[in-house]
Amino acid sequence: MYNSYELNESVRRALDQYSQSMIKIAFTYLKNIADAEEVAQDVFLAYLQKRPVFESSEHEKAWLIRTTINKSKNMLKTGWFKSRNPVPEDLSYLPKEENEVLQAVLALDKKYRIPIHLHYYEGYSIQEIAAIMRTKSATVGTWLARGRLILKEKIGGLEDEKISL
Amino acid sequence: MKKSVYKSAMSRVKTSENFEEATYRKLMSEMEKTTPSKINDQKERVRMNTAKKRTITGWSIGIAACAVLSVSLIATNQTAPKLPGQPPTTITQPPISGKVAVNIDGVITEVSADGKSFKVGDLWVQVTDQTKLGSNEPTATAPSEELLQKEFKVGNIVSGYTSQDVGSGKVTADVIYNNMAPAKEEASAPPVTGKAMVNIDGQITEVSADGKSFKVGDLWVTVTDDTLLGIPGPTAAEPSEELLQKEFKVGNIVSGYTSEDLSTGKVNATRIYNNMAPQQ
Repeated sequence: MYNSYELNESVRRALDQYSQSMIKIAFTYLKNIADAEEVAQDVFLAYLQKRPVFESSEHEKAWLIRTTINKSKNMLKTGWFKSRNPVPEDLSYLPKEENEVLQAVLALDKKYRIPIHLHYYEGYSIQEIAAIMRTKSATVGTWLARGRLILKEKIGGLEDEKISL
Repeated sequence: MKKSVYKSAMSRVKTSENFEEATYRKLMSEMEKTTPSKINDQKERVRMNTAKKRTITGWSIGIAACAVLSVSLIATNQTAPKLPGQPPTTITQPPISGKVAVNIDGVITEVSADGKSFKVGDLWVQVTDQTKLGSNEPTATAPSEELLQKEFKVGNIVSGYTSQDVGSGKVTADVIYNNMAPAKEEASAPPVTGKAMVNIDGQITEVSADGKSFKVGDLWVTVTDDTLLGIPGPTAAEPSEELLQKEFKVGNIVSGYTSEDLSTGKVNATRIYNNMAPQQ
């Protein structure tokens, strides 16, 4: 259990260390920065209210990522989110190549987007992704392979790039 | 797809500059709103809500009960006889504006020559053709002649109300509920018949030679054939020999009662519950 000072400190530290990762994961899901930031705030609120106890900083990060994914899914299911027709996030400020890659990933089905993001951005292995997403490693491997194949067809890629297990 | 390109692209995606600070402030304000005991204990929150609901329900029931009691008290007082010596009561000054009903309630001290006006306290009350006699409430019973006599007499107890200004000292009654003779002293006197029961309870200090009488304190108690033994009642167990011994002995603890006068110092027991040896 935390006292209020420890809680404040742990929240502030988590904000410093993980908020960007969480926003990016939510963005990968929702394709909108404002929504992604809202989800991230909700996750930190849950963190404050539930006061989970973690074994390590990796455990803490995995919990935050998992909660971000769940809350992003929940937001996608809400009626108001489905009913609206938002303007696509303006990523024109990115260099051309980066913009193309990012748009290609965001265009993937969401079941491929998240493993791709967790692997290429966060650097998680298949087993780690499987643990976070609470699914089988083989399934994650399949999602990654299919996602990469689609991306390769769209924008090309490094065929010899290995994915760590 | 090059890993570095995607990572670089995602790293460049712009987010709110003050996200961390704004989030931290929001979290702290949320934390202040919810006390520590409430943050992580949903059950407590439910309990508190339930307790509030119970409190509200309790107050509602209490207020409703008070209202019912008030109504019933008013209804009772309208028909209940007043003691002759009780001073007449009238409500204090009515408000400046609006029309209010002022109770007329008390003993008639004076009656006019025509018998249509009477004095209660300092107030002269006139009864006209417009004055309603008896209660006009839907559930009220028809007034009896005893409770609503036709003639107003000195000493009668009257109750009713007027909507006129009592400050003038003379009003016309809107309604007269009761006009009844005061209750007679005999009627209120307590009954003189009846029998009182007196407990017999204590330790036997002396036993008569025939063993049918014993002394408890200063009282000699005789057990006759009419004396009932044991504890009555459908749920009472049969008296055991241990608790209700056949023989009265010095030192035994007895309990029971008598309906006879104790002042003689000697009574017959009406019932003996227990007659048991003292605990060692």
